Amino acid sequence: MTSLNPIERCALIDLTDLPRVGFRGLDAAQWLTASGYSLPEAPNRAVLCGDGTLVARLSQTEYFLLGSLSDRGQRLASEEAGWVLGEERNYLLPRQDSHAWLQLSGKHVAEVMAKICGVDLRAEAFPVGSVAQTSVARLNVIVINAGSAELAKFHLLCDRASLEYFQAAVLDAMGEFGGVPVALDNLLG
Amino acid sequence: MKIMNCPLNGPRNISEFTYGGEFKVMPDPATCSDAEWADYVFNSDNEAGVVREWWMHNASSYWFLAERHTVTDQIIRTFDAKEVFNQRVEFKAHEEGVA
Repeated sequence: MTSLNPIERCALIDLTDLPRVGFRGLDAAQWLTASGYSLPEAPNRAVLCGDGTLVARLSQTEYFLLGSLSDRGQRLASEEAGWVLGEERNYLLPRQDSHAWLQLSGKHVAEVMAKICGVDLRAEAFPVGSVAQTSVARLNVIVINAGSAELAKFHLLCDRASLEYFQAAVLDAMGEFGGVPVALDNLLG
Repeated sequence: MKIMNCPLNGPRNISEFTYGGEFKVMPDPATCSDAEWADYVFNSDNEAGVVREWWMHNASSYWFLAERHTVTDQIIRTFDAKEVFNQRVEFKAHEEGVA
């Protein structure tokens, strides 16, 4: 085995306990921009905001926000807690209980995904900032390439009630690459 | 596996899609007859040839339209519903009570 640590080789981390939230509507982009978030230019793209919040655009008018590790998602949690429906056509989509959130990282991410997903997720076809809403291990999953120069990394968002099954399916696919589950504390430091 | 081109997500396995029925123009519910409305809601033309249909991409819950040949099963093109629905439809309740 190589000298890489598990996160750099092949690791699965359960981020489900961190805050995440969605917004949708014709005024959602305007509202999010005014609130200080950077937004992707096109559907099925994602951008990282300065504070570490990841914003994925799922359609012309829908956004999925993943909390930052630096504040453990507190900014998004307070965004959701303080939400009041106003005149604007911008609607809150609670995502905490609908989606589970996993992070698959390491140099084998594309090879692992190739075993359980029909879409080409290799770096040349699915570069950093890409989003794929597709079928993974027979579940509907949102795949976000949130990698960096140092670390290849996918976020996987699936039906929360199916987390136990999905985690087992991904870990099974990771087996041949020496993949292991890693505790969230290793990211939070 | 058959591949369908989703207007939002690109080419995907056909197993990622759900068929949503024939595309039909809705008669005005305020002025049409009960027979016209029942025809719109319940009946299908079931044509042999190129038809317009609703399809949904499951993973993104995105509904779109497709033109498909029902004999050869060839998908001719897929497109966003905005191409057809380009203005808001207002629904008004019946002014008199329904018998």
